[in-house]
Amino acid sequence: MGDMPGGMRELYPFLYERQADADTVVAEVADAVREKAAEITALRRDVAHGCAPRIAACAEAMAERFAAGGRLFVFGNGGSSTDAQGLATVFLHPPAGFRVLPALSLTSDAAVVTALSNDVGFEAVFARQLAALGQPGDIAVGLSTSGGSANVRAALQVAAECGLLTVGMAGHHGGLLAELDALDHLFVIPSASVHRIQEAQTTVYHTLWELTQLRLRAARPACGDP
Amino acid sequence: MSSSPAGEAAVHRAFARREAAAQHLADTAGQVAAVCRDMAARFRRGGKLIVFGNGGSAADASHLAVEFMHPVMVGKPALPAVALGNDSATLSGIGAREGFAGVFEHQLRAFADSEDIALGISPDGRCRNVHRGLAAARQLGLLTVVLSGGLTEEAPAADHLLVVPATDPLAVKEMHMTTYHMLWELVQVFLEQYGTEPLA
Repeated sequence: MGDMPGGMRELYPFLYERQADADTVVAEVADAVREKAAEITALRRDVAHGCAPRIAACAEAMAERFAAGGRLFVFGNGGSSTDAQGLATVFLHPPAGFRVLPALSLTSDAAVVTALSNDVGFEAVFARQLAALGQPGDIAVGLSTSGGSANVRAALQVAAECGLLTVGMAGHHGGLLAELDALDHLFVIPSASVHRIQEAQTTVYHTLWELTQLRLRAARPACGDP
Repeated sequence: MSSSPAGEAAVHRAFARREAAAQHLADTAGQVAAVCRDMAARFRRGGKLIVFGNGGSAADASHLAVEFMHPVMVGKPALPAVALGNDSATLSGIGAREGFAGVFEHQLRAFADSEDIALGISPDGRCRNVHRGLAAARQLGLLTVVLSGGLTEEAPAADHLLVVPATDPLAVKEMHMTTYHMLWELVQVFLEQYGTEPLA
């Protein structure tokens, strides 16, 4: 998580040139809000421009796996662990009218996570769960802001060896995940900001969910669907 | 891997749907800055941040808490923050005995101090337990902040109300994420400007 370049003073030098009064600081912080809002829109446009065919292809592959009875496993560290939970729950408990699909976040069970970390090592924390739970028709999605998470890389490697469909999400230049030849799909968000990367990754996986739903609905109406 | 042109077009449409919400965030930049100012004041008084929501917003609550507890920028101070959705024993215990609408209120009443910050997240503003948590927080004197979506009238009462005017819960969720990332980053600006000591 600590891979953000530069400190606050470097990012906002104008705020440190003087003891500004509170209203001035509020106005300058508001400028920063507008700038960051423009950044995420520009980044989403970049990602759509660069990745749309690959996002669509990934969703088709995921829909094929789900249609054949596959399940989704998702994992990441820190903020990405909560994103893994968010991703799992949108598949497992989607908005009304959408198809329920089997998904599990590997970050939610404190007993399993601490047992594996304590007894084996943190690098094994997702790989061992996948080795136990995963089946060849399943899907593994690993989230890493930098791409440098060793436990995400290890889990995707195990998943690939077991025949799961493997999807990696990274930022910056892709890090360790970019070196993983076994990955079926890799989305690298071209930004140096941890925060903007996570926000754009969220749009990518929400879009994967949306297209997976569209694809499954087109293929075969599910029992109970309107 | 191949994909259909229809699939690609659907990707472009999905991404484009996010732009109005990001523009709205820019349009309400002054409000976001005011939330950061008031949160920083609470942290200076020794307050902690308490965050809660349901479903995907429960994950966001945890994400927001970890931003403050373990900052992505090296050298930033760890600030006290807890998410109320992490303890499944307590959540299911309260839910089973007193009802799910009370899961956040119960924890707030037991754990909160008057100088704290309560931040509730609800994509449509209608979550009963988030409403009750914020009502309790207001009674107890906490600073209250809401991230919601849809109609402003549905949202719980709070000192600061940031509403994403969209009905797609996933687009709302993404804009909540951008907003709370900013809250963390820009609270730091106020703390660095005025120090972490209480103001006289």
